[in-house]
Amino acid sequence: MTVMKINLSERPKHSVSALLLFFVIHSVQVGVGLQGFQRAIYKSAGHDAWISVFISGIWSLLVLWIMVKTLSYYKNTDLYGIHYDVFGKWIGGLFSALYMLYCLFAFFIIIRNYVEVIQAWLFPQLAAWFVALTLVLMVIYTVTGGIRVLVGICFFSVIFSAWLLLLLFFPIEYADWRSLLPIMEADVSHLMKGAYKTTFTIVGLEVLYILNPYIKEKEKTLKFSSFGLAYTLFVYLAVMVVSLVYFSGGQLENTIWATLTLFKIIHFPFVERFEYLAITFWMLIILPNLGMYLWCAVRGMSRVFHRNEKSYIYWFSLLIIIPVCFVKTTNDVNMLNGFFAKIAFVVVFCYPFLLFAVTWIKKTYKERIGRKS
Amino acid sequence: MFLKKGKKEQGPSGNEKTIKSFPASKEEVISFFRQQFHSAADLVIKEVCPHLTVLYLEPLIDGQILREQILQPVQNKEIHSLEELYSTLSVGDVNDEKDPEKALESLLNGSTLLHFDGTPRVLLASTPQSITRSLSTPELESQVIGMQVAFNESLSTNIGLLRKLISSTSFCHDQLVIGHQSKSRASIVYLKEIASEELVTAVKDRIQKISIDSLIDTPVLAELIEDNSLSIFPQSILTERPDRVASQLMNGKIAILIDGSSHALLLPNPLIEFFQSKEDQNIRWQIATFLRLLRIGSMVLSIFATSFYVAALTYHYEVIPQPLLVPLGESRSRVPFPPIFETLLLEIVIELLREAGARLPTKVGQTMGIVGGIVIGTAAVQAGFTSNILIIMIALSALASFTSPSYMLGNVIRLLRFPIIIIAGLLGFYGIMLGFCFILIHLLRQSTLGVPYLAPFYPPRYKDWKDSIIRFPAQFLYKRPDATRPQDSYKFPPSEGEG
Repeated sequence: MTVMKINLSERPKHSVSALLLFFVIHSVQVGVGLQGFQRAIYKSAGHDAWISVFISGIWSLLVLWIMVKTLSYYKNTDLYGIHYDVFGKWIGGLFSALYMLYCLFAFFIIIRNYVEVIQAWLFPQLAAWFVALTLVLMVIYTVTGGIRVLVGICFFSVIFSAWLLLLLFFPIEYADWRSLLPIMEADVSHLMKGAYKTTFTIVGLEVLYILNPYIKEKEKTLKFSSFGLAYTLFVYLAVMVVSLVYFSGGQLENTIWATLTLFKIIHFPFVERFEYLAITFWMLIILPNLGMYLWCAVRGMSRVFHRNEKSYIYWFSLLIIIPVCFVKTTNDVNMLNGFFAKIAFVVVFCYPFLLFAVTWIKKTYKERIGRKS
Repeated sequence: MFLKKGKKEQGPSGNEKTIKSFPASKEEVISFFRQQFHSAADLVIKEVCPHLTVLYLEPLIDGQILREQILQPVQNKEIHSLEELYSTLSVGDVNDEKDPEKALESLLNGSTLLHFDGTPRVLLASTPQSITRSLSTPELESQVIGMQVAFNESLSTNIGLLRKLISSTSFCHDQLVIGHQSKSRASIVYLKEIASEELVTAVKDRIQKISIDSLIDTPVLAELIEDNSLSIFPQSILTERPDRVASQLMNGKIAILIDGSSHALLLPNPLIEFFQSKEDQNIRWQIATFLRLLRIGSMVLSIFATSFYVAALTYHYEVIPQPLLVPLGESRSRVPFPPIFETLLLEIVIELLREAGARLPTKVGQTMGIVGGIVIGTAAVQAGFTSNILIIMIALSALASFTSPSYMLGNVIRLLRFPIIIIAGLLGFYGIMLGFCFILIHLLRQSTLGVPYLAPFYPPRYKDWKDSIIRFPAQFLYKRPDATRPQDSYKFPPSEGEG
């Protein structure tokens, strides 16, 4: 390994305006989790599940603030640069490699879950590798276009899928609002457990660590990314509340993809069974996730290992197809999801605090030395 | 290696017949030009006086000017030198030329060459005849309200039309020669104080880099200088309307015109402008907005409607509500083909009709409508080849693809439909979505002269949204679009309280 530049100087051609962070953060957060996150949280927190969602949203906001704070100690760097600076070449490199593995794991989890939904609802006969391959080809086409295309997909994903939110008005017609009462029946430990279960759905804000050097107006980073987070929280709360009032408790516990089941009731004069359209439309919702995670991992290859980015876009994404074929049953997928949620909880919701502490210590230490000399 | 070397020597400049200076004697000059033009039948060589020879290419010169301003003054006088000849001629533009290469060039541009025996120089009098038709109304981009004049094939007429619309000294007009055989004159037109210098240099650079033997029409040039000529989407607008060019020049765009082509090329051009028509500025803003929405909606309909039919009937009939499913099933009950085959068959029939209609003369073309509409349409249903509902959908999507104000984009929509139908037949809604995502990513990857193709939506410049899908009333459109990076970004100062 050669010496790594901690701060990056990106040419303005590649930078994106901070406003777009709203779309990036929101679109990377929303993904396969939203299709059925109600069940797990309901199991922990009961009909107060929406409070759990709210708590995890607040926690994410805190994490986001810590992340921005950590990044602001440097001029223009990403997570890999911080690792190198704080932990040194070898340990920092190891941490970066672990982070890249996490990103690839997330990439895999998203593809596998989407394949699961496609097979369960639309085409039971369709081979998993085929669905994965088509998705991967789309992702490759996006990521090879560079950061602007990737952020563009995030942008259009949010714009084009905004109408799905309006569909929530249809199930409200059949709502029983009393099922929300009494509020705060679950105790704090259950609520916290519910919030923990939200991890799988709400992760995605960690891409800010890698995207940071490409943002034009750094002082607005916190503002727009927290707007994105707030919008995510709003969407999740809305979906959660509607699910709680539409389904009965027992139903919710037995519905794997509650959001998709919500869409079943939607009915227009020319089209019904809306979940078919929603599931296929979900491709546009997961494209930003896939693209961003792949890009983060590939960035690591060039930043930490000084390799050519382009070839690793193909390698990483095509290699992911192999494990997709090996995971066969729904149980395996659920087990993997649980495993991923545990890792994600550590990487996304705990690790930033540690990193912040270490960075802060290093900074104050450096300052003290500077003052002495 | 050997072959390559041989090829290089045969280049345009390596002509062995070329000579450095003119021979002095009459006979030598005549034989030189005969040889150069390979004894062309239209090369006229006249000996007017004992010492004076006149040479010209007959179809390129104006006979009247030749007679009245060159031959008549010379005939009645006795001339002893080239200088004397020079003062005798009454033509405005006369050049004294030593270089035979240049003399050849101006002969090809419609000059008359005069040679005085014994002088190693010639005089070149400019006597071009403009071969052109008179101005006519726009055929391809006809409008109800608006200028009823289109460009014609003469470059100077076209530039004149533009100059009439923009009487400003900042109107810049640079000329380049493209094609080492055809020597086509290309004009780059822009407004000095408005157009971005960076873009102008980019255009010039790209044109100068072209190495091609001939360039007859602007679409070819468009393909040569576009950012990605492999893409199906056009990245520059071709227009025959001087008013459109003029108003886009005011927005900071660059126009390229070629002598002999009746279409101007406008750069840079984001996708949204293919949905805008010049007429939108001449009608009320509400109606203009409605029409733009209609055009975009019809593009989406045109690309995806029939593939939706294929996907729904092949894989997802559950999405069709009961009351609709019954008539659909009834009309399809006699059709022996799967939906994808049925749809492709009918789509190809429509494309055949359209192509035949475009190739036939107008009078015969009407018969086509009858053949297409009645014979194929009605008979196909009665014969049980297709369902009624599909015919309606195909007709709708064909109609919708005609609404595009740009012929180039209309063709794109026409072709894009087929891959989407096929993939819908294979993978249902999932396939349609794959197609949609692919188109979206593809569009995001494109740029026009370095400007993002989806501007002003991505990257978002919400101030430019006022004149995009929607059109605000004229008093709000005080800003030039950011996409062209204009030097002066305001058309007029925004009125109070609206800034």
